Order: sequence, then C-alpha cells, then structure tokens
Amino acid sequence: MWSSARTIAAGDLVIVWLTRDLIQPLYITPGKEFNSKFGVYRHADLVGVPYGSKVGSRNGRGFIHLLRPTPELWTVALPHRTQILYLADIAFITSWLDIKSGSRVIEAGTGSGSFTHSTARTIGPSGHLWSYEFHEARYNKAREEFGQHGMQDIVSITHRNVCKEGFTVEDTVDSVFLDLPAPWDAVEHAKQALRKDRLTRICCFSPCMEQVLRTVSALNDAGFTEITMYETLLRPQDISQVPPLQTISEASERLRECEKKREEKRIKQIADARSRGGKRKRDGNEDEAGGEGTEPGATQEEDGLESKRAKTEEDPSSGLSISDVVVATTNPEQGSSSSSSANLHIRSPPPSMTKISLSKTFPEVRGHTSYLTFACLLPAFARAAASQANSGEVDRLEEGGDGVTAGLKGEGIGSDSLSVSMEVDVS
Amino acid sequence: MDPGEGSSKTISSWREETIQLGNTVLLRLPTGDTRSVKVEKDSTVSLGRVGSFSSNELVGQPYGLTYEIVEKGLQVLPPHTLQEVEDTEATNELINDGEFVQPLTLEEIEALKKSGVHANEIIKKQIEMHANYSLKTEYSKEKYKKHLRYAKSFSTVEPTIHNVCEYWFNKDQSRIRDLRIDTLSQLLHLGNIRPGGRYIVVDDASGLVVAAILDRLGGDGRLLTICDVDSAPAYPILTHMNFKKDKVSAVMSSLNWATAEEDYISLAPSAEPPSGQFKSERQKQRLSKRKLVLDSLSDTRSELFSGEFDGLIVASEYEPFSIVEKLSAYLGGSASIVVQSPHAQILADLQSKMRSSSQYLGPMVTESWLRRYQVLPGRTHPFMNMTGSGGFLLHAIKVYDDPSASSVLAFRQPKSKKAKVPGDPLPVDEFPSASGDAHSSSLNESREAASNEPSTKHDTDAPMA
Repeated sequence: MWSSARTIAAGDLVIVWLTRDLIQPLYITPGKEFNSKFGVYRHADLVGVPYGSKVGSRNGRGFIHLLRPTPELWTVALPHRTQILYLADIAFITSWLDIKSGSRVIEAGTGSGSFTHSTARTIGPSGHLWSYEFHEARYNKAREEFGQHGMQDIVSITHRNVCKEGFTVEDTVDSVFLDLPAPWDAVEHAKQALRKDRLTRICCFSPCMEQVLRTVSALNDAGFTEITMYETLLRPQDISQVPPLQTISEASERLRECEKKREEKRIKQIADARSRGGKRKRDGNEDEAGGEGTEPGATQEEDGLESKRAKTEEDPSSGLSISDVVVATTNPEQGSSSSSSANLHIRSPPPSMTKISLSKTFPEVRGHTSYLTFACLLPAFARAAASQANSGEVDRLEEGGDGVTAGLKGEGIGSDSLSVSMEVDVS
Repeated sequence: MDPGEGSSKTISSWREETIQLGNTVLLRLPTGDTRSVKVEKDSTVSLGRVGSFSSNELVGQPYGLTYEIVEKGLQVLPPHTLQEVEDTEATNELINDGEFVQPLTLEEIEALKKSGVHANEIIKKQIEMHANYSLKTEYSKEKYKKHLRYAKSFSTVEPTIHNVCEYWFNKDQSRIRDLRIDTLSQLLHLGNIRPGGRYIVVDDASGLVVAAILDRLGGDGRLLTICDVDSAPAYPILTHMNFKKDKVSAVMSSLNWATAEEDYISLAPSAEPPSGQFKSERQKQRLSKRKLVLDSLSDTRSELFSGEFDGLIVASEYEPFSIVEKLSAYLGGSASIVVQSPHAQILADLQSKMRSSSQYLGPMVTESWLRRYQVLPGRTHPFMNMTGSGGFLLHAIKVYDDPSASSVLAFRQPKSKKAKVPGDPLPVDEFPSASGDAHSSSLNESREAASNEPSTKHDTDAPMA
C-alpha cells in the first residue's frame, strides 16, 4: 500500500498540498503537467524529489508541498462519492472494534473507501478486509482505486447487496462494520461471518436515531450483548496570537487623555477664533457655540485613530498627532507634549513584549456525523450455555411467580426500587 | 465462500487469545467498577462483597464472559441482554420512598449469608416479603431482578487498548494526562501508526501511548521512546496489555533526554578490562554484561541520529516545542507530528511557534468530544454524566523547506482574500503595512511562511485539512 521510499517515483500517488483547504491527489505520470492556480509543474520534475518537499512552480506563481499519502490525507483529498466517514468516527470505531495488525474485518458498504483505506493501513499485510458495495459504479471505481493503491492483497471487494445475499465468508472475521441504510437487515448475516471461537465485535454507523433503535433491537434479537452507542466529534481550535490584554487603568488613562486633548483643542479654537479679530467676531461666537455641540464627536474619532496608531507603532513619538505638536508649541508651559508621550509609552507595549496565544472553538463546527452503535458477540459455546441457562431461568420464573434468582447487594435495592409508604401499609 | 485469503484463523500471537497464568486481567463487577487482578497459579482472587474464587478457574478462558461465583468455582452466566419489557399499567404513582425500602435489613441478610443460605433463597424471601412488588412497572421489576441476579457475578474484560484506556481513565485520568480513548484513537490515526512503521514516542502518560502503538504494530516495526529517567522507563500500562515480553523488547528501545543528545558522552566506566586482560571469570561476565548495555545504548543512539522516522508522537509534561524542535530533526519528509496535551493553552503556544518555522506544515489543534448513550427500548438517551475533556491534539506534517522556491516574501498575500489571488507573488513593499490592520496581518504573514494562504479560515468539515 503506497510507497514507503524516501523519494517520489513515477507511478506514485502523491498528495499535493496547495493550501489547507486545497489538497489534491496526483498520480505521477512523467510527460504530464500539473496545472493549478499556484503554478505549473512537470510530473517528470517531481520524480526523485523527497516526499515532504516544498517545490516552486516553473512559472513562479507559487509553490506546493508534495506529501506521502496517508488514509487521513486521502480522505480529505479524495473526490467524495458518498458521505464519507471522518477521522474522529473512523478512529473511534477502529479502537472499539479492536482493529489492529493482523485483524480480519468486514466492511459494508465500501462507499468512497475512506474506512477501507484507514483499515487496510491499520491491519497491514497480515490482516484482511472484506469490503462489500452494492452500487455497481461505486464498486468499479473503488476496485480500480484499491488496485492503484496496491491494496489488492489486503482488501477483497465484492459487488453485492449484503442485506439480501449475506457475506462471502463464514466464521472468519474478528469484527464487522456496517455503514448501510438498513443495517438491521445485515445483522444475522454478520453473525454468521463472525468467528465463533472468541469474543467478536460489530459497529453500525447510522445518522438517524430511528435507525439506531431498529439496529439495537435486531442486535439484541440476534444475541449480541453489551450494546452501547456513542457520538464523537472533533472540534478544530482557532488559534491566534494577540498582545497581552489591556488593563482598565490603561483604558482610564486613555479616556482622560482624550478628554484633556478635547479641552485643549477647544481652548485653541477659541483662541483662533479670537485672533481672527473684529470683523468676524459675531461669526466666531457662533462657531464657538456650535463647536461645543459638534466637535467632541469628531475629536473623539481622531483620538481613536491616534491611539490605535500609537499602539501599533514602536516609536511612541511618531504617534503624536499634529494637534499634539501644535498644542505643545503654543502652550509650552503646560508640558503637554512630554506628558502625552509618557502616556503613550504606557499604552503601546514595548516591542519586546511577548504576545499571548489564544484558542477558541470555531463559531461553526460539525455538530453530528452519525451514531455509532456497538455490540459484542460471545464465543459460540458461551452463547449456548447462556441460552440453556436462560431457558431454565424462564421456567423457574414462571413456576415461582416472583421467584427471582439473585445475589445480594445492600445499597441500591432501596431508594428508586421497591418501596412501601407507611400510609399505604396502615390503610 | 472465499477459500483463498485468510482461511487460517491464527492471528498474531502478540496478545494472547485466552487468559494465561501471569496475565493481569480486568474484571468488571456488578457495580460497574473494574478491578485489575493478576492471575497467579493456585491463588485466590478476592472481589470483596462479590466473593472470591480460585485463579486457576480463569486460565484458558476466552475474554468477555460473565461468571457467577459458586463456592470458589466459576459458572458461566447468560450474558446481559437488553430485556424487551412491555410497560404495564403500573406506574410509580403509589410508590413512595420510605423506611420500608428493603424488607430484609442489611444485617439480616448478612446473618442469612453466614448461616449458609443460598443467595437465591434470600432473594426469594425478600420478594415474598415485598407486598407492593406488583405495583412496580415491568421495567423496574426487570431492573430489580437483574440487579439482584448479577450481584455475585463478574465479567472478564479483554485487554483491548479501548478497554485498558477506559479503565485507566476512570481510575486516575491524571496519570494518563487526560488521554481519553477517542483522543488516543485520533492520535494513532493522525500519527499514521501502521505495522512496520518506525516511530519516536515521548510518553509521560504511564505508557498508554506506548501500549497503544505497540498494540497497533503487532510486533512489526520500531518504537523508540525518549524518557526522563536514567533507567529503563516504567510504563505501567503495558502490564495490562499482556504483551509477550521478548516481543516487546525486539520492537521497542528507549533513550533519555541526556542520551538522546548528539554530544552526550557516557561517563560509565569502559567495558574493556583496564589491564587489557580479564582478571577473572567474574570480571569477564561483569564486563561483557556492561558491554552489552553500552553497545545497545550506542546502537539505539545511532538509530535515532540516522533519522528518517515515520512519526513523532508526544504526550509529555515537558515544554512541547523543545521536544518537537529536538526530535523532528530525526523525522523523514512528510512524517506526522502529533502532540497531546490536557491544556489548550499549551498547544496554542506550540502551534504559534510551529507556524513561524517553515518545516512544519499545517499545524492544527483539535479537541475531541465524546458522548455515550444508554440504549434501552423506549428509554434511549445520553448518559447523564459525560467526561469533561479528553484532551487536545496538535497535528502537523514535517516538510523540507526550499528557500529558493519558498522565498517567504514572494508569496505573501494580504489578509483580505479579495485583494490578490493567494499564491501570487507580492512584493513586500506593496504590503499595506501602514493600514490600521497592519499589526495583525503582518503577524499572520510571518506565521504563514510555510503555507500559500493565511489560515484564518479553516475548513471545519475536514478537520484533517
């Protein structure tokens, strides 16, 4: 399955990583060209390049990374033919079913082959996977693909409706995975295919609760035990780096600074208006009156910009606005220039200040893929013993009415179970 | 039928199919608790209130069966199945919790037990004395019967990595660094663990990661662990897997943080006799033993330093970037790097650091989520309690940078997706560093040196991407 050589050879499947959201499979065929919005690449040029290499395009329009295929990369790169199983589900199913090196597994249906690739990797050459697909076109496509990926020794794929015809093996596999619209119809067949000499396991993958309930009932009827159900998800985290959060004393300082500047500006405007002199004195008065009403908003906006700039720029002095300079020169005795640059020092973090990393869940995440229903099947001899014991049990129960076999346990018999109230007894 | 492939049922003898002497076996008790028991020859296993039995009874048994303890012996019990119980007219309307909850008191029961009365008799007695039994719904009657029935029973639990992880998670999750089974499963998949693979592992999670990887390797491949002790690392969880010892030592070797340094020089005395000749047989034995240890250390070190490993898996209490920086040097191209932590902050920091290096492609942090359901006819719902967190994972791919192809500046793009087609060359001068947003976007640029596109947008449909 796939090349394990250090370098890429002709005929290899390579995963081309263009961006995080654009990952494509590529079969290396010298003579062909790979065209993308990140440039043009000749397949022949990629032969001999180590896996994992960054390669620049011939026309300088970008670069790509050439990766070794893994089932996980293949899953995100593959052309989706059906709803595919994602990493979290596949991984959880694999561990619950105890799929490992050498395992024998049944899968139905094959779908787009996502679980097939993952399982073929995990069981390795000493294991075997029997895969069944009832859709002919999908079956043909999958078979071709498994051949291309060198999986034909590990995976046998059969075109068949397993709900009607059952599986091709009997008393053979360690686990069965059913991803079918009506898994309950395949449960009895699965039971036949599972090994009888040891504990075996089954998983049914269904998106709807109604399917789960029918499956659970079919599993129970067929004698499966430890029936349980899980839902699992993987939530990507959005990580960002930001400067340390500001304290409120910094906010307070900034607000006071704003107010001070606004006041200085107002005084300056009054002074300007006065200096314009006699002829326009009346207009100037109107300006002054209007200024008090409208100016603050405008200045605030300016201050906002200014403080933003001050935060981002390293040199605090460049953060001084023209109005600061004007104020400073016109009123040198107030020392506003020095005090404001001192404040700016506080507000803008020194360049050496480390940033903090933040993590949060993305606003929209996948909320549900499917319900994973699991169950175990005991070895045949234990099932036989069990059914004998069970029938004996039923007889006894019928004879003795409430005669129940048991052990004893102090706690728990009370509280929620049988209880009798004083009142009822007395009456 | 398929006569060809897989007609033989022998699977790898890496893990025993049945319970053997010397195995450490997990037993599930009626309370739902799981107990770990070592099966030793001719000894008695005591399960407290459930009873005790002879350990020999378990030897050769397949896993997963339920037994009732009958006079130190074991009898296979029918498996727990879902009981199809029709609800009757009975409700809990007339039933109140009160003092007469249990017809027999605990003391009376103990007295009966001591006098040698069989449990079944006691229960029968108890139910007879229970006037209002008929008031119960069929369901709670069933619950009651089952509850009593299995009180003196237990089930053996197969040591699959799933079961062993669950056992340790419930027992003491801090000892396995909150590594829940779903997270562990994802770690194995993201790490591309396969038979025949070669992996470097840092496991400060009591050996859970080591156990899981060894289990997946099935005796074929290589596992090099780096630990922080100067003797062979103790991975207590390996005991529960019951691997064959000689097989483990053939696959796994360990170094520590000192011996994993390339400039490490051993201060251990030489294995050569000082005089050039062995003075005695004892000295010869002692020195040849020492030589074996030194040779094996030197072999393991050169194996690490010659590199080309397929993956690096880390679940460690140490600063993860220092680990990744040190050990990724020994990975082959396109190898997987997976780091687990119980804390999002640790991995957030790690991701930020890894993004500033062009040898890690697509570092991505994920959190796993798991919910279990009670499945009973007509009463299917999620369990009331669920585990809070199963830990976080960071996954990245080791890549070889090509400075000529990758000239970081040439492929910068603005944060706004509309401004330029991603991947287009964009001279740094054109970059709008003076804009109000300069701060954050220049940050993005430097972080994204290894990628064609700023990763402010993630495809949540494809978590791998």
